[in-house]
Amino acid sequence: MTERPNPLLIANTIDEALDAVSRGSTPIAGGTDLVVGARQGNKRLPASLVAIDRVEELQSIGLDSDGSLSIGSGVTHATLMSSTVVVTNYTALADAAALIGSPATRNVGTIGGNVMNGSPAMDTGAPLAVFDAMIQLSTVAGNRQITTSELWVAPGQTSAEPDELCTAIIIAPQPDRSGSAYVRLEYRRSMEIAVVGAAAVVTLGLDGTIAGCRIALTAVAPTIVLVDGLESLIGQAIGEATLATVADLASSQAAPISDLRASEQYRSHSVGVMAKRAVLAAARRATGESISVPVNRSIGVGSDGQRQWEAGAS
Amino acid sequence: MTSGLTSRNGVRNENYLNLKAVTLEPRPFPRADGPDKVTGTGRYAADMVLPGMAFARFKYAEISHARIVRLDTSKAESLPGVVAVITATDVPDVRYSPGVADRTLFATDAVRFEGEILAAVAATTEALAQAAVDAIEVEYEQLPTVTDVVQAIAPGAPLVHPDWQNYEVSAETEQRPNVASFSSIAHGDAEAGMARAATVVTSRYVADASHASPIEPRAILAQWEGRKLTVWSATQVPFDARAGVCETLDLPTNQVRIIVPHLGGGFGGKCGFHFEAHIAALARAAGRPVKLVFSRKEEFLAPDRRREGMVVELTTGLNADGTIAARTGTLLIDNGAYTADAAFFPQLAAMLAAGPYRIPALKIEASLVYTNHQPSGSVRAPTAPQACWAIESHTDELAATVGMAPVEFRRLNGLRSGDVGPVGQTYGEIGLQACIDSVASRLTGETGTEADEAIGLAVGWWPSFPGPSGAYIKIDSDGAGQIITGAQECGTGAVMTLRQLAADELGMAAEDFELVYQDTGVAPYDTGATGSQTLFNNGRAVLLAASELADQIRQLAADHLEAAPSDIVLSDGHASVAGSPNPAVSVAELAATAAGAELLIAHGSGKPGEYPETVGASCVGDQGVAAWASPQFSCHGVRVRLDSETGVVRVLNVATCHDSGTILNPLGALGQVEGGVLMGIGQALTEGTQYDEDGCQRNPGLLEYKLQTAADAPTITTQFVETTGGQGPHGAKGLAEAPNVATAAAISNALAKLIGSHVTQLPMTPERVWATMTDATPSDADRDATGHDTSEPKSGDEL
Ligand SMILES: Cc1cc2nc3c(=O)[nH]c(=O)nc-3n(C[C@H](O)[C@H](O)[C@H](O)COP(=O)(O)OP(=O)(O)OC[C@H]3O[C@@H](n4cnc5c(N)ncnc54)[C@H](O)[C@@H]3O)c2cc1C
Repeated sequence: MTERPNPLLIANTIDEALDAVSRGSTPIAGGTDLVVGARQGNKRLPASLVAIDRVEELQSIGLDSDGSLSIGSGVTHATLMSSTVVVTNYTALADAAALIGSPATRNVGTIGGNVMNGSPAMDTGAPLAVFDAMIQLSTVAGNRQITTSELWVAPGQTSAEPDELCTAIIIAPQPDRSGSAYVRLEYRRSMEIAVVGAAAVVTLGLDGTIAGCRIALTAVAPTIVLVDGLESLIGQAIGEATLATVADLASSQAAPISDLRASEQYRSHSVGVMAKRAVLAAARRATGESISVPVNRSIGVGSDGQRQWEAGAS
Repeated sequence: MTSGLTSRNGVRNENYLNLKAVTLEPRPFPRADGPDKVTGTGRYAADMVLPGMAFARFKYAEISHARIVRLDTSKAESLPGVVAVITATDVPDVRYSPGVADRTLFATDAVRFEGEILAAVAATTEALAQAAVDAIEVEYEQLPTVTDVVQAIAPGAPLVHPDWQNYEVSAETEQRPNVASFSSIAHGDAEAGMARAATVVTSRYVADASHASPIEPRAILAQWEGRKLTVWSATQVPFDARAGVCETLDLPTNQVRIIVPHLGGGFGGKCGFHFEAHIAALARAAGRPVKLVFSRKEEFLAPDRRREGMVVELTTGLNADGTIAARTGTLLIDNGAYTADAAFFPQLAAMLAAGPYRIPALKIEASLVYTNHQPSGSVRAPTAPQACWAIESHTDELAATVGMAPVEFRRLNGLRSGDVGPVGQTYGEIGLQACIDSVASRLTGETGTEADEAIGLAVGWWPSFPGPSGAYIKIDSDGAGQIITGAQECGTGAVMTLRQLAADELGMAAEDFELVYQDTGVAPYDTGATGSQTLFNNGRAVLLAASELADQIRQLAADHLEAAPSDIVLSDGHASVAGSPNPAVSVAELAATAAGAELLIAHGSGKPGEYPETVGASCVGDQGVAAWASPQFSCHGVRVRLDSETGVVRVLNVATCHDSGTILNPLGALGQVEGGVLMGIGQALTEGTQYDEDGCQRNPGLLEYKLQTAADAPTITTQFVETTGGQGPHGAKGLAEAPNVATAAAISNALAKLIGSHVTQLPMTPERVWATMTDATPSDADRDATGHDTSEPKSGDEL
């Protein structure tokens, strides 16, 4: 018999996966965090693993009876970024999925892995936070749903119990005239990790002013954070002054660290820039304008086409 | 003789003063190693397996500067699976390194950088070897670290090598405390020139260290059979590696054989002698083959081949008409803890700091400064991208000071054919001005620049390095040819091009030849894949061998066809009599004849090109390259886009033009230029090593050390100026390094137009760009009531 330091179980159904985690196995989906982290010596590979990448039940995107979007935890970023319902109604999430790593990373990396890895630099986190997504955690005994802020407690740490498997991410329908966007600061165009990022969902009133706005920030705190104090934007038109307020609110609520990728000051400044761009792109999408996914490649310095981020640029 | 040069579309303008740049039409190029590499059948050093082999791991210092109080390997030795543990006491007591013999295979009394090797372990698995390494106990007494080149040369600075005066140095190396080597260029009276100048401009630029980052981390496998040692190594310089093994293990060259399977890139990072001797000594101690494969992290930390950090201070005096009156400069080059092959870097850097300009009075001083950083070494065009970035940014500052367009300033001051350069060398036909014209016309010919875009350009130069080199060619009984060459292929295609050179000379097809290469046991000497020298020197050897072989074939054909050898024409794999309707005889048929008699074997080496004469220069510490043999000239121009709110820069278009003499393989040449540009963009914007206070690398990995990716690549257009006078085959000069000289500088100049001043630290990361912009916000007078800048925007569309 060959030596097996890390027993690997392969689950074909949710029940098999739940059974394995109930008996101490750690789930592995795409392995793009787990295996890469272990290779880099960040975290040891768990003693026992259960592969869940063959569980088809976890790989679908569908609408629940109440119109909520249900995304299986095993859905890959490649699927997410090209799903019509995600691109149309939850565009920020498609923006984020489309930025992750490289085609290879997106083909195997999953939304469940991204969410459960709990990195403050995770790209799907800010979009899920602005959509008020619920994370469904399951055990052999049953399911519970918690918010993202309940899930993410510290860098790389979630409130999920070891015997819980994330089975789905559920997002309620957005109000009419809503648009969303996720923008991140990146130093190169692939294989990049967010220096900072911001997601926004904006709902416009019939008069075109802001009727609702949520913003969440990436990589500026121990977890993804929602921006407070956005009520003051209600009733405002999208314009330079509004966007300046957005930038100020985001920058002032960021509590970033200085590290290899950026200093605290630069992160605080640039997350404000990302926030206002996310709001602008979200608002334009709310008017029905089509800005292709990901926003990072369709406007601004990363784009081959439209370059300016000005309010009236559309 | 059919020449490979006639089938190209490029029109060669022979006019001495009116050279034209042309885009060469790439002809199909049968690359012998292509199928192996793309289908995965090729083997690399890490793929090699021998029966009974053990696995090596190194014990590294992990501290930048300390005295070794105690080194205890006894626990490691007693662990299961461990077959050998060796330290300095197990190898000959040899201090080595070219230029300055300042290092030993294993640390003896002290460690001077974090990647210094204390011990090597071999065990039956990699995991057991690592466990044994972890069981080695070291006790240190920490010593003060030297991490800053400016502080390192200040009086009273702690010495990296207290014993430096006792080290053996090559004759011309001038040393000082914490200075491994020094070089200067002086001619004219720079002080007087400066005093007379109408304007004087001073600049200071600082470049961070960076890395070669080849895709293949290095791997070594060593095996002893009796007295004979074979080492399979991922090296760019097998003969240099052999010399290092022989020197440090006290062996004659004929007992050591270095074989390089396919090499997965090097970019200079795999030049020099590295770890072959450690693994050979380990294999001898273990009594079995031993293999080492580096992790990516080790590839960053351990080799003595980092691109050196640099501090460049330049002062230039200008006359009222915009001509340069005088220049002084000081360059401090971070050598790191030991002198790998960097002893001659001060000369290269000094020449770069002078630049390809007419400067009547010049005084440049360049020092190679010891620190407790990883040693520096020949990464693609050593010292050039950083020094060129500094000098060419400075040049745009000069142009601005006298109100000239940067391109006009360079046309006015740039070297021309027949000029005398900084060390008194008179240049023959050179293509600098043609390169400038070519790039300027392509860049400015584009449609108008948007407000967030600007164009910028820079010129560069780089030598070719003449050196000894050898090859054999033979044709066996079936007419199949073999080229047995000492040359090393590191991905550039230089060795692959040798087939074409031989085939053209012999009237045969490239596919008629297989290459036997990268094996010191079978081929004559070559310097290796270093200094852009492969085609330049080995091409000469192959041409000579091919021409000797052609004579042999002509003689055979003359006997066969009853004609004079001088009337025999070789083409299409046949020999025929010139002007005669008689049937030709195939080379294969002649080879079959030869196989039963005198064999078809030829050899070539040839005298290396000479360094040009220099007149009237005083050049301290000259190691022979201050005068530039077959100098290459280049101009790179870029169009960049700036996200002014974040400092993120994207390079949209790059136009390049190179004078590398005759271009032998247009497809390969284009590949070299494009790769060099992309590497240059990385150096300009994202690639930089960050150090902590103790001199340890903070980003030794590909996540935080950011190379450019394919998605970042701009559109690159390239032209060549084919000047005469290159000393390589058919008038070629070198090419592989020259494209990695001017790109970062051009980006710097384009960027400066958008933000109003130059970013003075390399890489010009988004945060540094942003910080420069924040510092350089327009004065209050230029702002309207809302705080917006009302000053005239600088046009980014002019060169
Ligand atoms: C080259 C590269 C580039 C990358 N770029 C990005 C990027 O741009 N943006 C970004 O956000 N991330 C990036 N990542 C990180 C990673 O790809 C993503 O986080 C990905 O979504 C992880 O998914 P996975 O399926 O591979 O997770 P895995 O590695 O399989 O798992 C990650 C963690 O989640 C746990 N887990 C997985 N599935 C479940 C589940 N259903 N229930 C409970 N726990 C679970 C695992 O036990 C593990 O702890 C990159 C990674 C690489 C290697």
